[in-house]
Amino acid sequence: MLLFRSEEHVGRWCKVRGWPKRPLVTLDQLWQLSVAWYSNRLSPASRRPMGDEVKQIFQRLGLTGEFWEV
Amino acid sequence: MNDDLDIRLKLFVYQTIAEDGRPPTRNRIAKALQLSLGTIGDSLTRLRGKRLLALAPDSGEIAMAPPFSAVPTPFQVHCEGKTFYANCVWDSYGIAAALHKDVVIETGCGCCGEPARLKVTGGVPEPSNWVAHFAVSARHWWDDITFT
Repeated sequence: MLLFRSEEHVGRWCKVRGWPKRPLVTLDQLWQLSVAWYSNRLSPASRRPMGDEVKQIFQRLGLTGEFWEV
Repeated sequence: MNDDLDIRLKLFVYQTIAEDGRPPTRNRIAKALQLSLGTIGDSLTRLRGKRLLALAPDSGEIAMAPPFSAVPTPFQVHCEGKTFYANCVWDSYGIAAALHKDVVIETGCGCCGEPARLKVTGGVPEPSNWVAHFAVSARHWWDDITFT
């Protein structure tokens, strides 16, 4: 996933590549997602969030809709 | 038994990255853990199955230990004099979250290339109105993790 200057730049990028425009994620949401996913990654018990945990994380951050279904 | 081995290997991989900025080779892992290359390969494959690592298809070496990339990418993460490479903008923040340290991220706009500098200090990202775009929906992220 890429970083963009603005929504307009996302639109341009998608148009050039013929790629559908997806829901945008703010950097605050992205940071919270990173903490949920990776904050224990260097510990012995680390693992990826799975199934319902993922759903709860997305829901808590307001990432809802078909795009975020797992 | 396999779980214990996989945890040891995973920790060695991540500790090596935290120290060196890059994941260890299979040979280095085998030497450090005093295990055969076959045993290391089996463990890496299991960790790949758990979506904790991505392996290079040709060599079987570690290509990604998310959020870290084994190779240089357009997402540089600077932390205490070291430079790490992230797989994407999410993983750039992910490195700060994994290390629990302040970082400065250097990357750019995916469209026009305008340079971007994102900071995380004390567990808080510097406010920014830039946005992230996920090209692939959540259930397909690991179909081709290199593209995602």
